[in-house]
Amino acid sequence: MNETAEPTASYTVEFTVSKRTVTCDATQFVLTAALAAGIRLPFTCRQGICGTCKSRLISGLYDMKHKGGIRPHEIEQGFFLPCCSKPLSDLAVEK
Amino acid sequence: MTQTQPALSALLARRRLGYTLEAQFYTNETIFRQDLDFIFARHWIQVGVEPDIASPGDCMIVDIGPHAIIVARDDDGGLRAFHNVCRHRGARLLHTAKTNVGNLVCPYHQWTYGLDGSLLFAAHMPEQFDATCHGLRRVHVRSLAGLLFICMAETPPDDFDAMAQTLAPYIMPHDIRGCRVAFEEDIIEHGNWKLTMENNRECYHCNAAHPELTRSIFAEGFGFAPVGAEAEAQAERFHSMVGALHRDWEQGGLPSREIEDLVDRPTGFRTERLPLEDAGESETLDTRVACRKLLGKFSEKRLGALSVWTQPNSWHHFMSDHIVSFSVFPLTPETTLLRTKWLVHADAVEGRDYQCANLTAVWRATNRQDSDLVGKAAAGIRSSGYRPGPYAPDTESLVEKFCAWYVGRLKIGLGT
Repeated sequence: MNETAEPTASYTVEFTVSKRTVTCDATQFVLTAALAAGIRLPFTCRQGICGTCKSRLISGLYDMKHKGGIRPHEIEQGFFLPCCSKPLSDLAVEK
Repeated sequence: MTQTQPALSALLARRRLGYTLEAQFYTNETIFRQDLDFIFARHWIQVGVEPDIASPGDCMIVDIGPHAIIVARDDDGGLRAFHNVCRHRGARLLHTAKTNVGNLVCPYHQWTYGLDGSLLFAAHMPEQFDATCHGLRRVHVRSLAGLLFICMAETPPDDFDAMAQTLAPYIMPHDIRGCRVAFEEDIIEHGNWKLTMENNRECYHCNAAHPELTRSIFAEGFGFAPVGAEAEAQAERFHSMVGALHRDWEQGGLPSREIEDLVDRPTGFRTERLPLEDAGESETLDTRVACRKLLGKFSEKRLGALSVWTQPNSWHHFMSDHIVSFSVFPLTPETTLLRTKWLVHADAVEGRDYQCANLTAVWRATNRQDSDLVGKAAAGIRSSGYRPGPYAPDTESLVEKFCAWYVGRLKIGLGT
């Protein structure tokens, strides 16, 4: 198939505690974008297993592929794992 | 222990049948360690109830002397138990009594284990590091109709299934899995764990010590023999109630007759469905149910109280409306944790179906009274004037059976 390459969507991620905002592509993990911008966040496994980077999302939509590092009830309470989540909109994260 | 004191094997060999144990058994640090090694690390220990860990990812921690254990519900709904110790540098993984986790993550360096205990992730370890050799150390775990037991031995006593086969038909109708823990209380008793158990295994003290409990229970159901005309008349009434009610209950599908196998097996137990006074419904201050929503499929409130004991560390009372479950954990030679759980139907709503104060009134009062008695016994036993005293043969025979089981199991452990 010959599809026309769409320009990759890009969103902003605001970290409300450190008062920093970074740009994150739709293909990029939120943690990766934050680290690239020099924001220091807690993390260990970078694959959604350990839950070290668990953060509360204040607003926005994301696509997360975790491996057991977060429980459904935590997700319901508004938590997500930046290490294995890609943005689907602008995000605000309580970090 | 000083060198002049006799070895445990000598103390066991000279134990006088029908008498309380010598003081060292209740005070001595070395014997306490041997209790932990030979009794608690080698037998099936009752640690909780399935509603403690109802959902996938639910974990509870249990400390038994130096043994720190996690009991967990895995993602397939199965039961798992592990030592609560990271395989990296030994940190405790979980610190809260009950919690829900995705994976088990060590708070120190984030070594991460699945709910099956396998090591999923350990950063910075070299390529040749074999994660499969560093899973959490497993502990055996079994459910007896919803009562949770663990065994830390590599090869646990093989009589658990036989016990479960006998007891499950008694317990199942009360549907522990369909319950939730409405209230939980930890009491630290100031006495050796065996004093807590011995106090539970007789009702000689009930009449004087337990005004709330004896509103509903009959001491005769716990080995008490009557003395005097009034007591004999009461006992006769009790035994005729047992006869009639056992017939009714068994016809209704509820096993009721006494089965007692406390001494001659590793996993000793006793059970009997016992009549209650007056309304006969529950162990409450007014002998009526404390919870409007009955357990399981029950429609009859007057089902007495099913008594279940297991050696070395538990007893339970199952009624039509609620369950009270007691587990005993040694802390030090002279302190013991008594953990009590009150269970009601999972759908029962506090304020609508039951009042927590009414539900827990009898056994909270009784626990405090028992705790006081255990403390008084311990205080006398640690003083120089103590000598082993005689059990009343007709009224304290079940205490003797606890001691006989304990002495027998220690002898087997020591190989003497």
